Amino acid sequence: MKLQLGKFGKTLISRELGSEAFKAFQTTLRELPKDEELEIDFSDVLTLSPSWADEFLSPLLDLMSNRLVLLPSDNLSVHATLRVLQEANEYTFRIKSW
Amino acid sequence: MHSLASICIVLGGICIVSGFVIGYAHTLIMEEKLLTITQASELLGVSVDTLRRWDKSGKLVAIKKNGGTHRFYREKDLEIFASDLMKFASEWIEDGIDFPGTFYCPTSSIFNARLTKMEYALMLKPGFEKLFSLVTLVTGEIGDNSFAHNLGKWPDTPGIFFGYNLEKGVVVLADRGLGILETLRQVRPELPSHVVAVEVAFTEFVSGRAPEKRGNGLKTVREVVVEQPIDLFFISGDAEVRMQGLDKIFRVTRGQRVIRGCLAKIEFK
Repeated sequence: MKLQLGKFGKTLISRELGSEAFKAFQTTLRELPKDEELEIDFSDVLTLSPSWADEFLSPLLDLMSNRLVLLPSDNLSVHATLRVLQEANEYTFRIKSW
Repeated sequence: MHSLASICIVLGGICIVSGFVIGYAHTLIMEEKLLTITQASELLGVSVDTLRRWDKSGKLVAIKKNGGTHRFYREKDLEIFASDLMKFASEWIEDGIDFPGTFYCPTSSIFNARLTKMEYALMLKPGFEKLFSLVTLVTGEIGDNSFAHNLGKWPDTPGIFFGYNLEKGVVVLADRGLGILETLRQVRPELPSHVVAVEVAFTEFVSGRAPEKRGNGLKTVREVVVEQPIDLFFISGDAEVRMQGLDKIFRVTRGQRVIRGCLAKIEFK
C-alpha cells in the first residue's frame, strides 16, 4: 500500500498535527494485511519537520518495523528530518531506490 | 486590505529607529494619499488608542494637516515603520511594548497558516527553489517549540511574534514564555544555567514535555544551520547562540542581557 503523505497537508510542521495525523490514519492501518508493506510517498510534501514526523513516522516504525518503506525524495527538509529521526530511533529506514 | 506581512516582502534595506517622524515637505504630502488613523490602525493591526499613544510618545508621529487635531499617516511610512522586526520583538519580550498586530500569532494554528503563506512566497524567490523547505523547517520548529512548551503555562501574553522580510532574507520569532531553562528543568532539575540548558536543547534528544519521548526540533535546527546558507541568532535567558558566516560553529555563550522566553533571528541570502 502506498500512502501519499501530502494528503495530510503540504506543510507538515507541528508535533500536535503529526499526532492528529497518526490517529486519523489508524483506521486505514488496521485494514492493512499483516504481510503487506506500507510505502510512504513524500512527493506532494513541501516541508516536513522532525516534530511532525516524530509523531507520525516514529510510531509507524514501532508498529511496522521493516514493512515500512520510504520512497525517495529530493526535498531537503525530508532529508534533514529523516536523518535526525534515524538517529533518534537508532534505526535506518528502508528507502526504495529511484 | 493590505497585510503588513505582504508589505514587508517588498521592502528592502530600510532600518528605522524609535522616534520615527512622519511627514516632510508640504508639497510632498499634497501629492500622496494620506491614511486616516482608522485606516492606519487596520493596516498595522493595532488599536486607534495605541496609535494615539505612539504619536504622543514620539514612537510613530502622525501628520496633522493645517494645525488640525486629526491624525493622518503616509502608507509608505507605515511600511517602513513596520519593517524593523528585531526592534519590535526585542521591545515586546523585554518590556512588553506593543507591536503591530499583524506579527502576532496568538495560537499555533494562526502561526501555521502564516508560516504556509511565507513558505509559498519563499518558493518563488530565486535561489530558494529547494532551500525554502529548510528555512520553513527552521522557522516552524522554533515557532512550534514556543507553543508546545508553553501550552497552559504562559506567564502573561500567550502566543508568539512572527515577522519576516523575504527580500532582506530575515525571519524573527519571539515569545514571552518560560524560556528554555525553566522548561527543561521540569525534566532535568539539575540544569545549572541558561547556557547549559540551551546547549542541551540544541544537542540532545530531550523533551520538556515528559513523558513525551524526545525533542528533536532544535537539534535539527542546529544541523541544518551548520550545513546550509542559513544564519541563526537565538537567545533565551542570558544564553546566546550565534551561528553566522561561512565557518559556522555551534557554541552557546553568556550574553550581556537576560531576556524572558526566547528570541530568534533567522537570516538567509
